[in-house]
Amino acid sequence: MSGRVLVVDDEVEMQRALRTGLSYYDFDVRAVGSGEEAVREAAAWRPDVILLDLGLPGMDGLATLKALRPAERAAVIVVSVMPDEKDKVRALDAGADDYLVKPFGTEELVARIRAVLRRQADVTAGEPVIRAGDLEIDIGRRTVTVGGRVVRLTPTEYELLRYLALHAGKPVTHTTLLRQVWGDYAIGDKYNTRYVVAQIRKKLGDDPANPRYIVNEPGVGYRLEG
Amino acid sequence: MPAPREILAGRLKLQSRLAPYGLAIGGAIAVTAAIELITSLASVQGLSAIYLLLVLWLGARWGRGPAVAGSIASFLLYDYFFVPPVGTFTVSGTAQLVELVVLLAVALVTSQLAASLRRARASAEALARDSRALYELATAALRTPDVTVALAMLSRRANELPSVSRFALVAVDSGLPTLLAGDELSAGELKQAAWSHENGRPIGIAIRDGAVVLVHTHPADSAPAYLPLASGVAVIGIDGEQADPDELRMLAALIGLADLLFDRRRAAFESERAHGLESSDRLKTAILSSLSHELKSPIASLRTGLTALAAPRAGLQPEQRELLVDLDRQATRLDRMVGDLLALSRLEAGLQLEREAHSFADIVGNATRQLRVELASNRLEVELPDDLPPVDVDEVQAGRLLANLLENAHEWAPPGGVIEVGAAQRSGMLEAWIENEGPPIATADLDRVFDTLWTRRARGSGLGLAICKRVVEAHGGTIRAENRRRGPRFTFTLPLAAVPAPRSAAT
Repeated sequence: MSGRVLVVDDEVEMQRALRTGLSYYDFDVRAVGSGEEAVREAAAWRPDVILLDLGLPGMDGLATLKALRPAERAAVIVVSVMPDEKDKVRALDAGADDYLVKPFGTEELVARIRAVLRRQADVTAGEPVIRAGDLEIDIGRRTVTVGGRVVRLTPTEYELLRYLALHAGKPVTHTTLLRQVWGDYAIGDKYNTRYVVAQIRKKLGDDPANPRYIVNEPGVGYRLEG
Repeated sequence: MPAPREILAGRLKLQSRLAPYGLAIGGAIAVTAAIELITSLASVQGLSAIYLLLVLWLGARWGRGPAVAGSIASFLLYDYFFVPPVGTFTVSGTAQLVELVVLLAVALVTSQLAASLRRARASAEALARDSRALYELATAALRTPDVTVALAMLSRRANELPSVSRFALVAVDSGLPTLLAGDELSAGELKQAAWSHENGRPIGIAIRDGAVVLVHTHPADSAPAYLPLASGVAVIGIDGEQADPDELRMLAALIGLADLLFDRRRAAFESERAHGLESSDRLKTAILSSLSHELKSPIASLRTGLTALAAPRAGLQPEQRELLVDLDRQATRLDRMVGDLLALSRLEAGLQLEREAHSFADIVGNATRQLRVELASNRLEVELPDDLPPVDVDEVQAGRLLANLLENAHEWAPPGGVIEVGAAQRSGMLEAWIENEGPPIATADLDRVFDTLWTRRARGSGLGLAICKRVVEAHGGTIRAENRRRGPRFTFTLPLAAVPAPRSAAT
């Protein structure tokens, strides 16, 4: 799998390292040093993935993300040195597809890029069955099976799992889950998501101390392993 | 030779003291003339009572001396002019004698009454004057933002008292005396003041019943007296053995006010110090935060570059690639240390915890996932009871605690060795432990393993376990290390959460 990756980072050394590293994995890479250039380049070049550093001079990362989002169909992976959990939540709620904490190795980055590209392809194909290991969620028939065994979920549990499955591999914030599953009135009541996730794990036979399907994103939310 | 002005002043003083007597004699003559005039016009009896009026007035207005003089003068004149035989001082009958005695008695009694009234009024006035002066001084002193200025005002007022020859206020801060206000003191006197403060013992003075009392150890001694206060000493020199009691009361009141001001000074001092400490903590964290950022950016470029070159497509020889992987591991270590340093400084500066109810299993899961590469070489055994109540913790910090302890266990456990994670509810807290099969910790070191920068290994940063201790203590828990039969065990406690009933799910 290859694709176009736009790197937005103000450090020239980082740009060069990423250009070299990603080119070894067959990605087509362009790099810019500011949010303004990123918005221009995204519109002109139509990248598949944008690697956006949050700590940009001038127009900052979050503002750039918001400027990019309405126009672009590119997946955005937010990158940052020492992000606060709140920064991650803000970036995800503003439409980022994933985040990565600097410093990171090239292989880890490539795995993340491939994951978001795969998700994009799934969404485009309208894949009705989502798989995570031996977990299968059939969106069309509203059924969930683990290793062929049918799992009975309450409507709330199914809604939560379905939303995570539709965004498999992507961290979903508590706020987003609460809004999607319960509605706007429930926002802020994180205990609800924790309780329901615990119930789903129990039914899936997932060990919270060593989860295979639903993974915690500390301070952020949950992610279904893609 | 005295100056002419002083002689004049002395003469005026004497004259003013004799004037009432003149007034008494003149008054008696005037009354005699008036009686003479009235009797010449009409025959009226008992006019001698007019003398009584005079004596009453003299006693009330001028005191005993002039009243007695007035009564004697009145008697003599009355006797001479009106008592038969007129024109002589002879007292012929007992009636006249009685009249004289009555006049004298009235003079004495009224003057006595008037004098005590006058004294009471004078002392009431003095008290009112003193309290007004004190009130004004106290208001001004307490309004002044600078305590030293207020203390100087107070010293000036004390020095204005006639019986006070010297007055000084000395602050004693951590044993060192500093003259804050008032008269200069010698080095010896400052030392004496410090001694008095340190031992809480006054020298040559006491305050009793709201007045200063001098306690003379050496009557001839002209050395000042020392009175210890809240955080300082009042140094006082008093003239004469017979100082005015009003002044001694005033002095005691001034010293009381000085005590209050000293207290205020100390409070200001302490709040300033606390503020300084707090802002220096904030500054330290801000510097470390920006420094960490500056350090991490180049490490990020290093790691991305090193791992890029280690990619198979980069076409390097296996030994070259190995070197790059080693270098990347070093860069990762450096990154971890910078992160630990920042985490520790934030915890020390009093990090705001975002506490919520969390399942302990989730927190263990977060940490084991984060370390899944490292822990792959160990046998991880997690045994958590199903009915473990949730803990009230900051998810990120608790995750850091678990990750650090697991990493520590991984480093000490032999390859393939077991790392055991367990937890139980115990006396209202969650008690959890992480045990590995590594070598025991020397008994003497069991407490020291949590000290900052203390490490058993040459390559350890000495920060990991120090962070654990800070995180646990920030949550109100405890952490300890012990050697079990199998190997070292780290046990910590975390608070349990009060769990709300889950909201019934709407779909």
